[in-house]
Amino acid sequence: MVIVLVLSLFDWELLSAPEFVGLDNYHRLAADGETWHSLGVTAGYVLLCIPLQTVLALALAMLLNQRMKGVRLYRSLFVIPWMATPIVLALIWNWIFDPRDGALNSALALVGITGPDWLSDPDWALPAVALVSVWQHTGYNMLFFLAGLQGIPQELRDAAATDGATAAQRFWRVTLPLLNPTMFFVTVTNLIGAFQVFDTVYAMTDGGPSGSTEVLNFRIFQTAFKEFDFGYAATLSALLFAVILLVTLAQVRFFGKRTTYDLS
Amino acid sequence: MLKSPRIRWAGALLGAAMLTLTGCSSGEGGGSADKVTLTYRLWDDQQKAGYEKVMAAFEKANPGIDVTIELLPYDQYWTKLTADVVAGTAPDVFWMTPTQFPEFVTKGVLSPVQADTAKYHQTVVGSFTYEGKLYGVPKDWGIVGLLYNKDLFEQAGVEMPDKLTWTADGTGTLLDTARKLTVDEGGKHPGEAGFDPAKVKTYGFASWNHYQTQWMNWVSSNGGKLVDKPFGKYVFNDAASVQALQFGVDLVNKHHVAPPATQTNPPTGKITDMFKAGRIAMFPANNALLPFVAPEATFEVGVALMPEGPAGRSVNLNGLAEAVYAKSEHPQEAMKLAAYLGTQEPQKLMADGGYAFPALNGLSQGYVDYWKAKKVDVSPFVDEAEGSTFPLPITTGFTGFETKLNQIFNEMYLGKLSPQEAADQAVAAGNATLE
Repeated sequence: MVIVLVLSLFDWELLSAPEFVGLDNYHRLAADGETWHSLGVTAGYVLLCIPLQTVLALALAMLLNQRMKGVRLYRSLFVIPWMATPIVLALIWNWIFDPRDGALNSALALVGITGPDWLSDPDWALPAVALVSVWQHTGYNMLFFLAGLQGIPQELRDAAATDGATAAQRFWRVTLPLLNPTMFFVTVTNLIGAFQVFDTVYAMTDGGPSGSTEVLNFRIFQTAFKEFDFGYAATLSALLFAVILLVTLAQVRFFGKRTTYDLS
Repeated sequence: MLKSPRIRWAGALLGAAMLTLTGCSSGEGGGSADKVTLTYRLWDDQQKAGYEKVMAAFEKANPGIDVTIELLPYDQYWTKLTADVVAGTAPDVFWMTPTQFPEFVTKGVLSPVQADTAKYHQTVVGSFTYEGKLYGVPKDWGIVGLLYNKDLFEQAGVEMPDKLTWTADGTGTLLDTARKLTVDEGGKHPGEAGFDPAKVKTYGFASWNHYQTQWMNWVSSNGGKLVDKPFGKYVFNDAASVQALQFGVDLVNKHHVAPPATQTNPPTGKITDMFKAGRIAMFPANNALLPFVAPEATFEVGVALMPEGPAGRSVNLNGLAEAVYAKSEHPQEAMKLAAYLGTQEPQKLMADGGYAFPALNGLSQGYVDYWKAKKVDVSPFVDEAEGSTFPLPITTGFTGFETKLNQIFNEMYLGKLSPQEAADQAVAAGNATLE
């Protein structure tokens, strides 16, 4: 991290000796419309992914926290997407999203809907990439919620039930607050991961169409390894770090006041 | 000259003693310290098998040198190479492409090499020349030709014309032939009443956003130019270039003889799969694609000359070179290896193995024979290489520009930008990346 911060003060293009340029890279950043655009795209991606995959994971965990036949098998099945390589996932989903022959639009056609050109439509490409991420991470997050749920003593819910609390009240007033440590862990790690998304974008859209999926990490890769501008890439990395740090600190504050780790 | 045998022996002994001395003075490790190990890096796992034989022959002729072959997938190859160059630990000899070459040579990463340039294909030599010096031993070349599905031609009762031609106004044998081979689910062809472009079963031609095998060839065969000079500026927004771009787009959106851009735009386009599945009759491709298409195709693959444009036929010829790392710890040995790779023996081995057309002139027949045994006549590629060919744009910043260029031209093939708008935007963006 320190090296990145130091590098961001240099103009360094591959073999040429790094030249100290002070805050020039940061001045350039302030006027760099494309980077602010990428930051917007990244924020959009995070907002599409995180709420959806957190809610889905929690719902799935509640469902699979019951006694039923084959529950272990289901629990394992949902984790499988998480184990696949992003590039392979992207290849498979590229087929699913194919506007003409793809599974998704064929399914939509059955109910009379003409699906969009998912990956070549600037309005749909980012949601499509986000959907793949949600599909990939939901099962994995479900595991943490499942562990969290099983750590909540049943007596607490029973006591609430005895006091006349409805199922909804038991969820909102008992289960959810007691899940705060898990919620904190899941959202923090997921947010950090989402801010750093790269592989799926690289394999599915290459930043397109019209830059609509050009997330910040993609731009850093582009700047360093395609334009060979290492100093400026370090500046962009510093920006990404700062954004993640701020968001994480905000989360720490939010959850810090509301979380109890001691259930005894 | 050393005439007396005794003096010759003395010379040999002296030479051996000096070798031993220099070996000792570098003095690391034990007895094998005077053995130099070179690293050779490539990205093609099929060619690696050929290079294992080549390196074995080189090691036999040079007992003091060991060569380690490193294979990296193409995508990782450049990222890793860049990182290694930054760290000062790049391989001694490695493959170089014309589009990456300008960045690496202008930043001093490559050593100039000695080679008799007259013996190699001139487009390859030109692709690796900077300020009058050659920076890479010409290795091989790949060229764009027209692959076609002979079964589809037969079923439609269409003969491949002796010469395919195109003009911007839509006349010429290419469009005629493509129309006959394009059929919708109702059996109708484009131009006929009732033809439904949304329900096409097979397409006559593949026109899509691919610079190397598509629009750059149309630009060049219409008298347009990509860059004004090597290491110069982009100029492909002049009238001739824009007219050529319009032709490529019209094949898709106006004449409906090629699949829509939603299915073909990079990086997700599946045009190669569509050709392999027998849904496209004519498919411009680099000969390097043959090993990935021919064995899997369920139909007979033909090769034809690329269509002639108003300014004649001009096709992309993409050369590779064996580059020598400027900061190699063993510059002499590395140079020796690179020079060897440019000679008859290894280049013939690679040609006869059907890996690539060698850069060294006069060895193409081995490659042709290899493919003849697999029932593909690749001689049109050879004929093309003897005619007018052009390299990809040789100028700094292309690697950084490529993503943007593809994005802009995706919009053009979708019909969202006119060719003039797209070319203007692309040229402006490209020239902004030039140092």
